[in-house]
Amino acid sequence: MDSTWEQVMTDAAVPVTQSAVEIFTEQYLRTLGCDIDKHDNRWAVTTPNEVDSELLTDSLTLVCGSDVGDGAAEELHPESQFFQTLLTEASERTPTGKISLETDDAAVQIPRWLQGSDIEVSSADFTPYYDRTALVVLFRVSIETVSEYQTELLRAVALDTRSEEFLPTLEETFLQIASPDNEAETSKPMDMQAADIQPLFDTAREEVVDRIQETTDEIHQEASRAADAEVEEFRQMQQQRIQELEEQLSNLSGRIDNLSQQINSSNEGERVEALKERKELKTEYEDVDTELDDLRQRRDKGFPERQHEIRARHALDVQVEPLTITEVEYESGDLEVALATDEHTWDFAAGYGSGVGITEAVNCSKCGKEFTETNPVRDIDQGLICLDCYRQE
Amino acid sequence: MDGYDLVDVEVTHESADDILDSLSQGATDHIQSVQATRLQAGQPDSELRALKQLDENSVKMLEHQVDAAYRALFEMDGKALLADEVGLGKTIEVGMILKEMHFRETNDSVLILTPAQLAKQWQAELREKFGLDFVCNYDDEFSGFDNHDYIIASIDTAKSDRHRSTVLKRDWDVLVLDEAHYVKNEDTDRYDLIDRLTYNYAFFLTATPIQNELTDLYNVVSLLRPGLFGTRDVFHQYFIDSSQETLVNRDELHERLHKVMIRNRRAETDIDFTDRTVDTRTFDPSAAERELYQAVSDYVKGAYGQDQGQKLVLMLLQKEVVSSPAALKHTIEKRLDEQSELTHADELESILDLIEGIETVTKQERLLDIVEEARNNVEKGRVIVFTQFRATQRQVLDRLASEGYTVHSFHGGHSSEEKEQIVEEFEEEGGVLVSTDAMSEGRNLQFCNILVNYDLPWNPMRVEQRIGRIHRIGQKRSVYIFNMALKDTVEEYVLDRLYHKIDLFQQSVGELSSILSRLEESGTSFEDEIFERLVNAGSEVDLENDFDDMAVDLQEQRDLADKLEEFNSGVFDGFDLGASDD
Repeated sequence: MDSTWEQVMTDAAVPVTQSAVEIFTEQYLRTLGCDIDKHDNRWAVTTPNEVDSELLTDSLTLVCGSDVGDGAAEELHPESQFFQTLLTEASERTPTGKISLETDDAAVQIPRWLQGSDIEVSSADFTPYYDRTALVVLFRVSIETVSEYQTELLRAVALDTRSEEFLPTLEETFLQIASPDNEAETSKPMDMQAADIQPLFDTAREEVVDRIQETTDEIHQEASRAADAEVEEFRQMQQQRIQELEEQLSNLSGRIDNLSQQINSSNEGERVEALKERKELKTEYEDVDTELDDLRQRRDKGFPERQHEIRARHALDVQVEPLTITEVEYESGDLEVALATDEHTWDFAAGYGSGVGITEAVNCSKCGKEFTETNPVRDIDQGLICLDCYRQE
Repeated sequence: MDGYDLVDVEVTHESADDILDSLSQGATDHIQSVQATRLQAGQPDSELRALKQLDENSVKMLEHQVDAAYRALFEMDGKALLADEVGLGKTIEVGMILKEMHFRETNDSVLILTPAQLAKQWQAELREKFGLDFVCNYDDEFSGFDNHDYIIASIDTAKSDRHRSTVLKRDWDVLVLDEAHYVKNEDTDRYDLIDRLTYNYAFFLTATPIQNELTDLYNVVSLLRPGLFGTRDVFHQYFIDSSQETLVNRDELHERLHKVMIRNRRAETDIDFTDRTVDTRTFDPSAAERELYQAVSDYVKGAYGQDQGQKLVLMLLQKEVVSSPAALKHTIEKRLDEQSELTHADELESILDLIEGIETVTKQERLLDIVEEARNNVEKGRVIVFTQFRATQRQVLDRLASEGYTVHSFHGGHSSEEKEQIVEEFEEEGGVLVSTDAMSEGRNLQFCNILVNYDLPWNPMRVEQRIGRIHRIGQKRSVYIFNMALKDTVEEYVLDRLYHKIDLFQQSVGELSSILSRLEESGTSFEDEIFERLVNAGSEVDLENDFDDMAVDLQEQRDLADKLEEFNSGVFDGFDLGASDD
């Protein structure tokens, strides 16, 4: 996987602060048509009759914060029952929809490989040619194993519906638009049909598994270590048991020998008693010997069943669950960029999409290497010169 | 790795059927569902909720300050030692903390203990920058530690026999202790007071957590978090190699300190102070001015010799004579009017005559050179002229206006709305702002980069506070400071012998306060020292020697402060808890 992918990939989960709770709750309730009358941290919420929500009664009092001390009011804070139920309801309400990214010159996205140097972007003009469509899927990935805390990730994957190319910058744009700090943009129902979505969705979910590979590998390693430790612990226990059995055998064999001598040298009454006892000991000897034999054999094979059982128990369970699917309409075209330093100017054009950023590789005029965040444009003397070439000059 | 591949990875894909069932729904709130999904996946998090309530014109929080406030409140459970290097705004950090606690209503009673000379400054800053009203023990309305809930007091007042029992009787919600190194010695009354105080949250401030030895740190931290460092003996044995007097087990010391101490360093924050150029201009007084100066100095000396009780007014006259004849005249006339049976009345009358004889005021004329230079070279010709006296201010304003300059006047008599208006007009219209020292610290004047000390306060802190109003975080241009003084006067002595020797004009407020607080720990104030030397010197040579002595004292304190800083940075080297730490 390209290393730059890892860098731009951010988790889509957001910290749940009290202000985020209040902003979202107010927005959601107002979308439902509720009326909110605020007095300090008390909200009197009036719900219209037609609203279909299990959460809301005709009138409701919310109090921001915990330790409210008012049985009749609902607490509103990141962990409150009310807020959790509200989130569940809101997230399940409309998991699909469509939005459009308007072209707006002011919001032209300058790639990271053009930022952070002395080169000034004096202009960046986007000329759209085509309307394109992308699909953004938000996946919850949970990775579970017995020895580790469960890891939960929320990841967005965006891909163009026609070329099936992944659009990482669009993922960022989408998350920006759908940030709980912003007022939610209005959406429309999706134009795409389930049959068209399914193959794209399959590609997206394979991609998300690929992208979390590093995290999966880390957890996998930890789990393997834990399983190995358990196998080793079991092996040592069995070895100890083998030693115990060996001692037991030698002990029995000694006692049997003693009895045999007794049988030869004692009177009849004692002999019968000794014979009886020797028989019992021999049976015991055989049992121990069988157990020992069995254990040794299993040891020599490496306790395959037990190993299997331990490793099966430590297996990683990776669950990939799609939560939302968004159809995003965007425009594709050319971006003309004018660059300037104190000494030079340089213009170039590249394929560009609104919200998607530059869609094609741009390469160093000297060495031909593609620009990346780690190898950005460093000079514009008769072309775009990368940092590596600049250093070598 | 052994058996690495033997642990299975099973990937289960949930189907999208349920989601796709909603395709036909025509709702417009899909993005809201995405937002809810993201919040559902997130962890509850604390935040500084009062941050949004701050007025950006009054205070602009820097990242390291917000971080410090956050960590002190949420990661250190409200018991923290704020030990930023000087000049990084520890007071702002505490202001933010108190504001947040106010917002969360966890501050029913707050006690801020400071060195005496800083109490009023704390009060002003908290009011102006954070809108928090505290009563100070120097206020007329202060009626004891059991009668107010938000108190700023000098630690020595709090520990005095008169107040001690009331202070200790209360359960305080919050205790703030400024210059916490003052309580480093466990055998003192100050230490004892803090040790016995009852409180839920505490924030201690110091730029020098170690004043002399590591035990200082032990003592301060143990007041805040008893037990963190174990017993004194164990602490010593574990962290100090007594044969070498060096630090051992440093990592563990850092780790434990990390639980209670926040130390940002200048180098780690992105604050970039611009250059400061100081131009001291001394002028020959006219013959009439020289005569007036001599007459006043003689009068002051004689009168003080007879009655030391008049010290304050005599000091005032001595300061006014170098500020302006107008200021002097105002005070003398008032004195003659108010006290008909005044001894030396005739001397004062003759001084008034001398004042009348002055036709041109040298400083005033020379000021025109500076403002003219500024008018030609600086954006909107903005210059701030500081004087200690209203009468001087009026005279300077008249003179500048008569020369056609746009002028603005700022003094303590304005309401706060008026003050705001004046600053706004000065920013928009440019010209010259003539201000008394009433210009509060909270005002943002970074849009101006030229300052004139028309006369000089005898308190170096005040000089630095003036400069600090333009040379502060946010100033983008180099700052020019002009000092004006008349030759062979007290002003020249103070400037030359004292301020320049300690490099006053290049010090930051923080650095200076650590020098002065060391000096003032010994008792007398800076102003008094200057005055005493001035009136007691037998001859010109004596006077010069006296001032030199004082400069040596200051220099010693400064060296001590420097050494200390060096030692501190040695101990905390690698104590990487700055803004970059997350």
